[in-house]
Amino acid sequence: MVKELTIEILALVDPVVDKLKRHQLSGDKTIALEISQLLMRVISAARWNSPFELIQIIRQVGKTLNTAQPKEIITGNIVRRVLAIIRDEVEEEDQDKDQTMMNSIFSLLSTQKPDKKIYQQSKKQSSDFRSIIIQGIRDLVDEITNVNEGLENMAVDLIHDNEILLTPTPNSDTVLKFLLKARSKRKFTVLVTENYPNGIEQAHKFVKTLADHKIETVLIPDTTVFAVMSRVGKVIIGSNAVFANGGCLSNSGVSSVVECAKENKTPVFAVAGLFKLSPLYPFNRDDLIEVGDSGKILNYSDFKLVDNVDLVSNPLNDYIPPEHIDIYITNIGGFAPSFIYRIVLDNYKPEDTHLD
Amino acid sequence: MAPKKKKEIDQDERFQAIVLTDSFMTRFMPLTSKTPRCLLPLANVPLIEYTLEFLAKAGVNEVYIMCSSHADQIQQYIKNSKWQSDDVDSPFTVTTILSLESKSVGDTMRDLDNRGLITGDFLLISGDIVSNINFEKALEFHKFNKANDKEHILTMCLTNASPYHRTRTQIDSAVFLLDKPTNKCIYYQSIPSSNLPQTSINLDLELLEDIDDEILVRNDLIDCHIDICSPLVPQIFQDNFDYQLLRSDFVKGVLTSDLVKKTIYAYITNEYASRVSSFQNYDAISQDILSRWSYPMVPDSNFNLTSYSYETNHIYKEDKILLAQSCKIGDCVCIGSNSKIDEGSSIIKSTIGRNVVIGKNVKISNSYIWDNVKIDDDSVIENSIIANNCQISTNTRIYKCVLGYDVKVASDKTLNFVRIIDKPIERVNDFEFSDDEEDSQTQQSQGFSIKESEDLVGKNGVGHVYISEVESDSEIDEDEKSLHKIGHNFRMLNLSDDSIESVTKKRRKKTRRFSTNSVVSTDFEVLSDEDEEEDFNKEAIDTITRSIENNHDLDTALLELNTLRMSMNVTYHEVRLATVESLIKRVLHFITTKTLEPKDALIKVFNSWGMLFKRQIFELNDQIDLLFTLQNVTSNLDKAYNQILLFWSIQILYQLDIIEEEMIFKWWDSEESVETDKLINVRGLTEKFIVWLKEAEEESDED
Repeated sequence: MVKELTIEILALVDPVVDKLKRHQLSGDKTIALEISQLLMRVISAARWNSPFELIQIIRQVGKTLNTAQPKEIITGNIVRRVLAIIRDEVEEEDQDKDQTMMNSIFSLLSTQKPDKKIYQQSKKQSSDFRSIIIQGIRDLVDEITNVNEGLENMAVDLIHDNEILLTPTPNSDTVLKFLLKARSKRKFTVLVTENYPNGIEQAHKFVKTLADHKIETVLIPDTTVFAVMSRVGKVIIGSNAVFANGGCLSNSGVSSVVECAKENKTPVFAVAGLFKLSPLYPFNRDDLIEVGDSGKILNYSDFKLVDNVDLVSNPLNDYIPPEHIDIYITNIGGFAPSFIYRIVLDNYKPEDTHLD
Repeated sequence: MAPKKKKEIDQDERFQAIVLTDSFMTRFMPLTSKTPRCLLPLANVPLIEYTLEFLAKAGVNEVYIMCSSHADQIQQYIKNSKWQSDDVDSPFTVTTILSLESKSVGDTMRDLDNRGLITGDFLLISGDIVSNINFEKALEFHKFNKANDKEHILTMCLTNASPYHRTRTQIDSAVFLLDKPTNKCIYYQSIPSSNLPQTSINLDLELLEDIDDEILVRNDLIDCHIDICSPLVPQIFQDNFDYQLLRSDFVKGVLTSDLVKKTIYAYITNEYASRVSSFQNYDAISQDILSRWSYPMVPDSNFNLTSYSYETNHIYKEDKILLAQSCKIGDCVCIGSNSKIDEGSSIIKSTIGRNVVIGKNVKISNSYIWDNVKIDDDSVIENSIIANNCQISTNTRIYKCVLGYDVKVASDKTLNFVRIIDKPIERVNDFEFSDDEEDSQTQQSQGFSIKESEDLVGKNGVGHVYISEVESDSEIDEDEKSLHKIGHNFRMLNLSDDSIESVTKKRRKKTRRFSTNSVVSTDFEVLSDEDEEEDFNKEAIDTITRSIENNHDLDTALLELNTLRMSMNVTYHEVRLATVESLIKRVLHFITTKTLEPKDALIKVFNSWGMLFKRQIFELNDQIDLLFTLQNVTSNLDKAYNQILLFWSIQILYQLDIIEEEMIFKWWDSEESVETDKLINVRGLTEKFIVWLKEAEEESDED
């Protein structure tokens, strides 16, 4: 039974949906923060009798956001994180109440049906519950805003003096901070590849910032990466989303670079905030990869080509399979790709993997 | 961001946008006979959605939609859409404005000015735009130029293309002369499509006087009519009531006029912008959208509550579609929900609407199939548009056709290069004004003629060939030739493109009927239009009588008369007739009330009001026409004084230098002036005057 969202909640959700549809939100962090703020507003505005109703509402919101921009993994992540916060809270209360029952052997054998009557909270309880969850989301917001701190601390341990690093098509603020932090203790060279046509300007800005911080930086096109790979000590990639199987989405052009790194047995580090971890599995390439403006590949004014070329396609992302990544560096530590499922389990509830 | 923005706006100025939904063209006939152009589906989404989405992105706060033809449908659509103002979700307020009398962009602008809605700079856009222009930059450009140049009134957003680009309309294309450093537009010259290829433009050298830097002459810009205007623009339209078109009248007029002294700038960008203005364009833009040139305005953005998902090679599928295992879906295909495609069919570079049923072994390429269409087995459809609810039976071949709504084609037929409509536009006959002999003749020879054609669509078929008036002229051949000559790759139909405006110049009478044809489905308009025809004479006489009675000055009367002429779109002949009748009426008033003798009355009236004719006569033939009119009118009057009236009126007009003596002779000697007894009778007194004139001439010759 799926309840429709009330008008008040729709009023909160719809502007965000429109912005997502119009691609007016850019940057994973911005989206993550926007969604958490939205959920906070929804929780303050929503009325519910039992936590399960609240869960239903949030799931519904999550579904709406997901249909608005199905290729944006982050929105789903945040919704699921918030759902996990709510469910944790419910379980905790549950445990307090049924402490004795839980210990008995009987409870292990009986199927536990969530008896709704138990959750008929009094008004006071419900407002407590509300504030606890909002506090939980605040913590989540803090985690997202301070994601770089946790990462930076590991930088010094991972990067050595006089090392040559390669960062393919960077647009990630996280990777930048990571390198800058390492610079305070270490001296190293960074090769940056640029990938035509998307994010070229960002790559240039990235290079400029590194150079300004006295890091020796070289900008190369990503087609020449094979030539330099043998000299590279580590490849550091940013990621847009990390899936439960350990694969990740990154900017277009990264895939070929990590392939090359694999040939050369060069270690590949993927840098990702915890909020980028998703409980989803990458089953279908079409569902993941956003295809962008064809005009960037082929100038629209070039009529002869535009009219005669069969197909122009401009994918904005690359999917990186788990076997091409050696380690994920997150704000809670470094993990092997095969271990990601475990961290996902810690942060999400399996019943929320599918919001429908 | 949105709520914050709204707060700021309350303090700041609100940015307005005017959407012109009517193109005042018949290019999309027969499709536009039932639906306004802006509601035609493009990649299964009504056209106006693209414009509104663009406005939402551009950060516009107030949108005014100007509707004229099919206004009720547009209003209804907006009312039920997500843009409706009381919906909290809507990023701007939408107001639909009925401007039913408008017959051109110029009229709409004047209407706009009369309503006084415009508060500041505004965005003028037509309702058929597809664009991903970063509008903020354009607005910045506008503001920057405005700060530097006080006379700046208009910024045109143009996009780079090549001269023969598929999205560049052959009809609207134009040459822009720009000042290189500032992008100030110096001159605008539209390129007529039907004429021979033009290789030169004529330029007034005075225009180049102020230029000290280089100038650019560009014929490679797509002009899709996204304009940022200052509030002065509608006013200029108001002042120049002969301006019909935004570009070839207004822009050109402002640029070449010595009086207006305003400047226009062009903002040129590499982003995507195009305007759906003809069938070729419809094809090109559909393909652009499917191959993601217009990103993020692509089907899988689902901004119009659709549910498209993207698949590799630009295939877009909505949910609940049924595809047989052996059917082939090629590149750039968009399929709406609940559609069904059976075994062995192949589809490439096409859009398929909702609830479409496609049988076995059907081949569809480069075609646009709208909602609820049924296509039976073994049919082939290429380069065509099939509108809603069409039924196509087995083994039919359709090449380069446009099938209007509800057309049925029987089996084993081959259609090539035709536009088909479900039933003839019957109302056309209503326009045959029984009182206007000439008019009904032109109707038959040049108007829309509908051929009965059973062998076209088969026995059980429903459909008639639609022929627009230009096609029946020889123009279509030229059109075709010139388009082939310039090497435009015709992927689509090159059926005629006739615009009302272009016809306007040729013949005003004709124009009015065509424009009503685009609104045939609204009965009340048809009626009102017919009334206008009869009304002009009455209204004009009333206007002049009022002026005489209230003793207005001549200029005011003339202005009123001219406005009336413009709004009702009649020729100067009618104006002269009305003026003569009203003046004579005034004279008769004096005679019947016995305040003055016929002669004195006429001298009094014509002396003070005869100058009215001065501004109604432009050619020598007009003078003769006036004389005939005078003769006709007076011949029907009381025999007691009609000769006196004619004699004196001619004499006074002669003295006022409105009529030259040669023309008087010409009229006098012509056969028409002695056709009936009445006419001969009324000439009686005037003969003396003629004799006198001739003598005077001879005398002066002798001198």
